[in-house]
Amino acid sequence: MKAKRAFTVAGAAAPRLEGLEKVTGEAIYTGDLDLPGMCFAKVLRSPLPHARIVNIDARRAERVPGCLLVLTRNELAGIQYVFGAIYKDQTVVAVDKVRYVGDPVAAVAAEDEEAAEEALGLIDVEYEELPAVTDIEQAIAPGAPLVHETVAATGELRASSYDIPQKFKGTNICYHFGYSRGNVEAAFEKSAHVFEDTFYFQKVQHCSLEPHVNIAHFAGDKLTVWSASQDPFTLRENLAGIFGLPLSRVRVIVPYVGGGYGGKLYVKAEPISAALSWKLQRPVKLALSMGESFKTVTRHPARVRIKSGVARDGRLIARDCEIYMDTGAYADAGPRVTQKAGYRALGPYRIPHARVNAYCVYTNTVPAGAFRGFGGVQVAWAYESHTDAIAQRLGIDPLDFRLKNFLKKGELYTAGDTPIDCDLKEGLLKVAKALDWKAPAKPNRGKGLSCCIKDAGGTYKVAGATVKMSADGSAVLLTGTVEIGQGALTALSQVVAEELGLSLNRVSVAQLDTDVTPYDISTSASSSMTVMGLAVQRAAQDVKRQLLRAAANVLKTSPKKLTLGGGKVRGPRGAVPYASILTGYFGSRAAEIIGHGLYQDRKSKKAVLGSPTTFWEVGWGGAEVAVDPETGVVEVLKYFSVSDAGKVINPTQCIGQDEGGILFGLGHTLYEQMVYEDGQVLNPNLVDYRVPTFRHLPKDLESVFLENGNGPGPFGAKGLGEGGLLPVAAAIGNAVARATGVRIYQLPLTPGDVWRALSESKKAPAGQKSPAGWRSLP
Amino acid sequence: MALQTEAGERQFVEIEFTLNGRTQRATVEPRELLLDVLRNRFRLKGTKRSCDMQVCGACTVLVDGQPVSSCTYLAFEVNGRNVLTIEGMARNGKLHPLQEAFIEHGGFQCGFCTPGMILAAKALLDANPDPSDEEIVHFMEGNICRCTGYKPILESIHAAAKKLPTAKA
Repeated sequence: MKAKRAFTVAGAAAPRLEGLEKVTGEAIYTGDLDLPGMCFAKVLRSPLPHARIVNIDARRAERVPGCLLVLTRNELAGIQYVFGAIYKDQTVVAVDKVRYVGDPVAAVAAEDEEAAEEALGLIDVEYEELPAVTDIEQAIAPGAPLVHETVAATGELRASSYDIPQKFKGTNICYHFGYSRGNVEAAFEKSAHVFEDTFYFQKVQHCSLEPHVNIAHFAGDKLTVWSASQDPFTLRENLAGIFGLPLSRVRVIVPYVGGGYGGKLYVKAEPISAALSWKLQRPVKLALSMGESFKTVTRHPARVRIKSGVARDGRLIARDCEIYMDTGAYADAGPRVTQKAGYRALGPYRIPHARVNAYCVYTNTVPAGAFRGFGGVQVAWAYESHTDAIAQRLGIDPLDFRLKNFLKKGELYTAGDTPIDCDLKEGLLKVAKALDWKAPAKPNRGKGLSCCIKDAGGTYKVAGATVKMSADGSAVLLTGTVEIGQGALTALSQVVAEELGLSLNRVSVAQLDTDVTPYDISTSASSSMTVMGLAVQRAAQDVKRQLLRAAANVLKTSPKKLTLGGGKVRGPRGAVPYASILTGYFGSRAAEIIGHGLYQDRKSKKAVLGSPTTFWEVGWGGAEVAVDPETGVVEVLKYFSVSDAGKVINPTQCIGQDEGGILFGLGHTLYEQMVYEDGQVLNPNLVDYRVPTFRHLPKDLESVFLENGNGPGPFGAKGLGEGGLLPVAAAIGNAVARATGVRIYQLPLTPGDVWRALSESKKAPAGQKSPAGWRSLP
Repeated sequence: MALQTEAGERQFVEIEFTLNGRTQRATVEPRELLLDVLRNRFRLKGTKRSCDMQVCGACTVLVDGQPVSSCTYLAFEVNGRNVLTIEGMARNGKLHPLQEAFIEHGGFQCGFCTPGMILAAKALLDANPDPSDEEIVHFMEGNICRCTGYKPILESIHAAAKKLPTAKA
């Protein structure tokens, strides 16, 4: 066994690199920037869910004092105005139709926001209303109106190809993911029990406190964009495509980002401001309001049907999943989210015969894209509720049922993928212990468990990093990971400091700028600590090798006899500061060492997703709830979370990611829902759409980490950020079911819905209620 | 405070107020929001715009020590009053105990809610130097954080309370 490495910086609760800036108000976000000559953009949005544009007349708007330009479909000649994260199905502003309430129809650039606002109101648009489909059922009904009559529904993202199967052409289905193994039908025949449940997940929004914002500046044929984006390199690629520019002529700079959660991935409002600036050759700022963010991107509503066959001894032997994901009016990342939802739907269990069909469906609603958990959240709600529902029907303790069916460490989730990389029992038993699982709950109280896994780190990721050591021995890191709050810059700096034997205050991170920062495929999929972490570690190790060689040269010894620590090179004849080595080697203070690091996932035809997962992100959750039978109000008394961190690089931030994820989960479990009526979102604001506040913090909330050094990242680290969120809905739903004997199949678990379910169950025969005791498994 | 009418219909108000300890004058329109005046006129970008509806707290500043949502507060109303923004929290280069505690306890992540959060917490501690969990929850409910899950903010406020000069030994 290897001796345990002693760490100096990695694993320390180091304060945030950008902490001082953020508590003093000095941290610069995109919306805080003013550029010389800057003008302001506003967007005219469709008031109708589905309509043909008959005519647009901007003449009155153009006469508003201060109005510089009205961008309509008549102004798009000369650019490739069709774009999209995967399918090119979106236009900079509407061309033939509008497809959802909020769809950009036109945009105005003016000297100030007031003039822009005034001009918006004077654009005359004549619509011919069309029948709309605003949910999955309507969209997949035979003869449903089509959101897109024709669409170039084929595309590539992160080395995966997506398209519409021939048989779905002429429908609203825009992508299908299928997977199967074994003989599912025969296994159902052989099963002692077969259970089927259908679960629903509602439309929710990211609600980053910073709404989408960007500034675009065309100067000649060079486009510079400042954006609150968590995906600057993908943004650069899309903008280069729209304006026909080489990548080297599009520069994306990312100041601090006020929350992302997936909502700032790919391309959002940037093409609008860029098109305005392309015409005006002036910087154009486009700051969306919170209400407009609600009309920009959401999470996919889902319908998930799961059917499972169970053997007499309680073993799962067959499963069939049918998933519909509502991607709204434009695909955005929908096909990939659907693929991942489908891939993740089987849960952490050994199921020899399995089949999944997942469909991505267009509707006349706000586009749905990436959102923390990326399809995993919807299916985790379904499969972990289903797990409890099966155990309950069989009269088996849900803990025992899970332990019996868990995949073991080293087993395959699917052939060709990375084997399961942690002991699923270890985490669940910790949760059970924390909840005092076997102790009976008080009246109207219940406890619930959930364990979820997701392939993580992103499929087929590529990331580069550069570390520069200056003449004084301090280091600057260049990384494409966006600081969206997750604390990546601090944790990555800790990796640099650890590798180079520096204190953290000698390391800083450069402003992200695609002109100079090495390529990174996006800040997503809990990848920063592994994918980028390894690139950063390798860049630091590259510096280390060069520094040791320089030191050996200066000290006239072999590099093997030297080590780094405390900012000094230590050798047989004492310790020499890095600065002395550098100036000694270069002969002056005109000195710098540059190290590069690259991480690249490997492709594999054998892997279902085309590349084995970087690691498995695993989250266990346990909840204890109290349900008021008079009002239906669910109170979460206790929530206990366990995540597999591999190695914690920064405990404060790991806890922050997990607990933040849990409160996020409480939001969609109990409160959050975008309410639609006649194609209109009724609550696109924080008054009517309630995100968790201080009051919703459970009195007893704790998160702990497994640290077995089993991750692929630096020092054995895994990624975090989504794992803590995945189990929340089902853990609470399962607790509510055990508290009341009633299972609710759709989120959120609002007092009204819980109360109605309770009222209806009182009318139901007693036999359908929860059994008092569990039978033991054979 | 004098109301002046220029040619045309636009009206302007002369105001004088204390901003982060200094006397300031400004000419504002009666309909102008404090948030816009702070951000655009005084270049104090620490005060953030978010919900525009007085529910998220990102734009919180203190007016005569009381937290207000500057996104829905008319600028002329600060005439003769004392306004504190996040830029005025540190004194003589030394952070306020709340700012130190937020760094130490991970009381923020993306940082967008942080200026408003810290100012609201200051108003609380000024009135109640040793608040209970329930008192913090009650007072801070108008400040939304989407990142942290609130627990580290609660811990930060308790920690700052202990460090304040008024804290009980």
